[in-house]
Amino acid sequence: MPSATLLGQSVLSGVLVGGLYALMGVGLSLSWAFLRLINLAHLALVFLAAYLTYALAEGAHMSPFLAMLLLVPPFFVIGVALQWLFARFKVDEFGSVLATFGLMVIVESVIQGIWTADFRRLETPLSTASWRVGPIFVPVSESIMFIVAVALLVAIWAWLRFTYVGKAMRASAENPDIAAAFGVNHARLALLMAGVAASSACIAGGFIALIATLAPSQIYAWVGVIFATVIMGGLGNPLGILAAGLLIGVSEAVTMALTAPSWAPLVSFTLLILILILRPGRA
Amino acid sequence: MNARAIRPAFYVGAGILLAGLPLAQPPAFFESFLYLVFFWIALATSWAILSGFSGYFSFGHGAFFGAGMYTLANLTTNLDLPFGWSLLASGVAAALLGLGVGAVVFRVRRLRGELFALLTLAVTFVLATIVLNTPLDGGPGVFMSASVLPRIYESPSGTIYLFGLGIAALSLATARIVQYTRLGRGLFAISDDEDVAEVLGVPTFGYKLAAVGLAGFLAGVAGGIHAVFVSYVTVAETFSITVPLFVVLMSVLGGARHWFGPAIGATLVTALTYAFVGGEWAVFGRGLIGVTLVAAVLFLPHGIMGLVASRRKRPPPPAIPAEPPAPSQAAHAPSHKPLLVCQDVRLSFQGVKALAGVSLDVRAGEILGLVGPNGSGKSTLINVISGYYRRQSGRILLEGQDLSRRPGHRIARIGVGRTYQIPRPFRRLNVLENVALYATFGAAGLERAAAERAALYWLGFVGLGDRAHALPLELNLHQRKFLELARALASGARLILLDEILAGLTPAEIDNAIALIRRIQAAGATIVFVEHNMRAVVALADRVVVLNHGEVIASGLPKDVMADPAVVAAYLGKSHA
Amino acid sequence: MAGGVTRLLRGACAAVAMLAAGAFGIATASAQQGQPIRIGSTLALTGPLAATGIVHKIVGEIYVEQLNKRGGLLGRPVEWVLLDDQSKPDLARTLYERLITVDKVDLLLGPYATGAILSAMAVAERHGKMLVHHTFGIPKMAKYDRQFPAWHMGPVPEQTVPALVLDALAASENPPRTVAIVTSKFPSVHFIAVGARDVAKKRNLKEVLYLEFEFGSRDFGPIAARVREANPDFLFVGAIGLDGNLLLEALKKLDYTPKNHFYLYPAPGPLAVSPDAKGALSTTVFEDQKPYTDNPVAAAFVKAYTERARAANLPYAAADVQAGTSYTAWQIIETAVTATRSLDDKILANWLNANKVDAITGRLRFDETGNYGDDLSKLKQVQDGRWVVVWPKESAAQGVKLMTR
Repeated sequence: MPSATLLGQSVLSGVLVGGLYALMGVGLSLSWAFLRLINLAHLALVFLAAYLTYALAEGAHMSPFLAMLLLVPPFFVIGVALQWLFARFKVDEFGSVLATFGLMVIVESVIQGIWTADFRRLETPLSTASWRVGPIFVPVSESIMFIVAVALLVAIWAWLRFTYVGKAMRASAENPDIAAAFGVNHARLALLMAGVAASSACIAGGFIALIATLAPSQIYAWVGVIFATVIMGGLGNPLGILAAGLLIGVSEAVTMALTAPSWAPLVSFTLLILILILRPGRA
Repeated sequence: MNARAIRPAFYVGAGILLAGLPLAQPPAFFESFLYLVFFWIALATSWAILSGFSGYFSFGHGAFFGAGMYTLANLTTNLDLPFGWSLLASGVAAALLGLGVGAVVFRVRRLRGELFALLTLAVTFVLATIVLNTPLDGGPGVFMSASVLPRIYESPSGTIYLFGLGIAALSLATARIVQYTRLGRGLFAISDDEDVAEVLGVPTFGYKLAAVGLAGFLAGVAGGIHAVFVSYVTVAETFSITVPLFVVLMSVLGGARHWFGPAIGATLVTALTYAFVGGEWAVFGRGLIGVTLVAAVLFLPHGIMGLVASRRKRPPPPAIPAEPPAPSQAAHAPSHKPLLVCQDVRLSFQGVKALAGVSLDVRAGEILGLVGPNGSGKSTLINVISGYYRRQSGRILLEGQDLSRRPGHRIARIGVGRTYQIPRPFRRLNVLENVALYATFGAAGLERAAAERAALYWLGFVGLGDRAHALPLELNLHQRKFLELARALASGARLILLDEILAGLTPAEIDNAIALIRRIQAAGATIVFVEHNMRAVVALADRVVVLNHGEVIASGLPKDVMADPAVVAAYLGKSHA
Repeated sequence: MAGGVTRLLRGACAAVAMLAAGAFGIATASAQQGQPIRIGSTLALTGPLAATGIVHKIVGEIYVEQLNKRGGLLGRPVEWVLLDDQSKPDLARTLYERLITVDKVDLLLGPYATGAILSAMAVAERHGKMLVHHTFGIPKMAKYDRQFPAWHMGPVPEQTVPALVLDALAASENPPRTVAIVTSKFPSVHFIAVGARDVAKKRNLKEVLYLEFEFGSRDFGPIAARVREANPDFLFVGAIGLDGNLLLEALKKLDYTPKNHFYLYPAPGPLAVSPDAKGALSTTVFEDQKPYTDNPVAAAFVKAYTERARAANLPYAAADVQAGTSYTAWQIIETAVTATRSLDDKILANWLNANKVDAITGRLRFDETGNYGDDLSKLKQVQDGRWVVVWPKESAAQGVKLMTR
């Protein structure tokens, strides 16, 4: 039987990883729900932001957090520009998979062209620092990431729920005709939403640079688990994504602590399947 | 000679020519390259049979493919079974996996769209983990000896080419047959509106299972062949994101709603992958692949087959047959013999009683008006009779046959047809196809040509004959309501349930509709219609039943019922009683 | 309808033909001039293995350039026909068929990594071609008699690699009594980790932890917590790529530093510079240091490599075991061709089976199981931010010794 410390440490590790899944997935979820775009390129943007953060921090000796913030406006613009392009050509849900996969490949090539396929690691004192709380060690950079992720997710949730823009966006997603009749300009809101989604990719990328070692093909390694998180959480539901991320992260981590780590995906994804099939209500 | 006769001969001839190619002893590379094209054609086409046709977007094709790969690798390497039987077993194993997943998932109405995609993805992860941690692989991978492959041609690359060609041809033939038979039409209906499809008579559960079984079998066989091609099978390669992602890309690029679309996409993407293998420009070439894909979507939004379809000229409206296609039921005056009997039908939603014990009779040949305030249970009753909802207690008998335990499509077959208050046509099928579907799957159960004749007749009957080739979205509301009617008529139903067919129409259109409904009755059908428009109820109904709070509060001749104090109270509130 | 499909088919065929012509045109055009000897290979230049693929590309370019400066092979210039297998073994198979049957190259060099090499080996066997490869990890799967490994790990690395590291530790001031084995389920590392269990058992080391994790795992937190609890004297990690770094970082966050730790195939650059990797052990057959660089050929090579790697913007520019085995593979080809004055695969293979080759990694022979010969593996350790060879003692540079805790 594993000790309480080991179990606690593993749960914490799962919680933090779950937060990262949610942070990486929220933009994908927003564009899927409100723009009807399955944006695979979202993960490519995450890694582009990670590399740019790395470059600014490593090359220009900038604080990675400052770098992250500086990158948000350009990423907002990238998001808006892409949405403009997709809207201009009336790309539908199916087509968006193809187009954004193409974009993902382009971004991957650009990254490999500039930074080569070799591994890049941003070495900062933060990357391995941790606080000690009783017998548990709390890693610093992951904790900052988690706090930012939760804050961002709650902010997006509140934005969707309480502001005019958010309500209009949700109305428009449910019934575009009726929303339009009430004067909702979907096209303009969509640009804003795409900008927000890309900005979230930028923040996620900044933290990836802090936490992970970078390689261009890493983009694809995240596709499966991020998709699972996004759909599990319910499209366009930031708090749901957080819950889904935590569920997957914690169930995996606990399995890794209790049994052979290589069995971990079995537990978390069987759990996910059971919840999907047995969960009452929600369509 | 006509094109229909030439085409099969053309396919067979092309197949034989391709199969004989290795006899010309081309460089092994060409055989292997073509093998890879065939391999992707088989995978993308099998994906489209499930996901393209039925709209159940699967992200788990890697699971079927992987099940096939590991089945063949284990059977030939560890159990020394012959290749042919192992290959068959690969297909069967993957098909069983598909059927198993389908048998659970397809029962849950919620699990459509992205939830289905997630579920299939999760199944892939689970399968990969099991293979990795059990003797099926266990970690080191399965290495297969070259002698596994039977010698059909001199060179192994020629032999594997032949197997690739075989599975590609089998997949294409399957997809083509499916597309042009009942199964395909049912799947297309499912992809547009599954609930309507079930109620019109498509056995949706069975059809979806058939589609996932076929898709699984074909992908499993393709996986089995591919195991020999790569000769070294590992979990990381087999269950990588490549297979599920690429089959989607290829199908979307080519057009997933046509049997030939995925093959075009697969050929183009595979060729594209090979176009940039030069060592000097590898990274640049990869970028170009991305650019090509983006450009393809922007300029070919519906895939290549979609482009072909949109370029095709719409034929002129066909001539309307003068005679009703099927022997129509003998016209008879309202009788006292009940066609439909509801006995104490009850249904609650989370404690709220929608139907609190409804009992009523519908007599053969009559028009029964079903009225009541909003929320009184009228539409719920229609949904229960047509099988969309399952009643919790009570019995529903159509000429003595109990409907209440049967699924929606069985009820449609027995002879119940319905319309929707807000028309729900299959939006990607044209008007004629919409109606013909009902003639095929409804009580009429007509074969293809007869179904089209029937559809045309009923379109002419409701006055939509000249719009036969239009898409439903091109029709106005009035026309869409009449399309609903034509569909119910073409189904050959003895009992037609009309749900607020008049709502939203102008007075002139209402008069038109009333005349039409009278003609339907004259043609022998029994009609139950839910309506708010009292003028129409009085004008049309032979009898009226009034529902309130899920209970029958009055029934009888229209003028008597309208005078009933309980009815007045229900509509206007207690104080008027 | 039929017309549309036909037109489309015609269009598709034309497109494929154009693409094919583009792809094959390059190779056929250059085959004409001056009759060079053409050596064909693929490498993972894109996709998940590209981080290491680039190393082999740089080495190959250096070698071919040096070779042509010396006058080429048999008086003919040498041309390297390099294709990108995109890290996919099925593509590697098809491209080796292309190299043999369409480009008709004279000699073959292996692709990068075990899976792709197995694919290429099967093709080479069908066409009777010799295949010299640099990075094959599972000797017992090398069943073709005309394949020759450059990475001389010996025929049974699952016994010899664990024995090497345990020997070294046993001879140190702090011989371990307990061992934890943590491994990826990646084929070429998993079987060695399994072997390490047996070797440790035979030596009466107590196994306090054995864990297998999925290839590509990202979250090492729980694994690190278990290692910390087990607190072994020696941690053996069946690591490939970044696994080592990820585990070390996760351990560091638990404020834990393993006493003695070994990583099988780590990404060498990132591990060496990681501040947490102090004392980390790994196995090698070549490093950018003495005694390897006492050989002037090796010295010239590591210098050229570092220059090229810097120019190519690689973050870790020192030549390492990957670069060394890559160079050795080319040396094997050159030595055999020069000695036999032949390009015949059979003659070359027979000569290699019967003779020894002096390469920058050492003296190689090819006469045991799978054409493996002497086990040239050495133990290296991260000391002061770089890898140094520490074992066997006679291979270590002056003054360098194994550090243990």
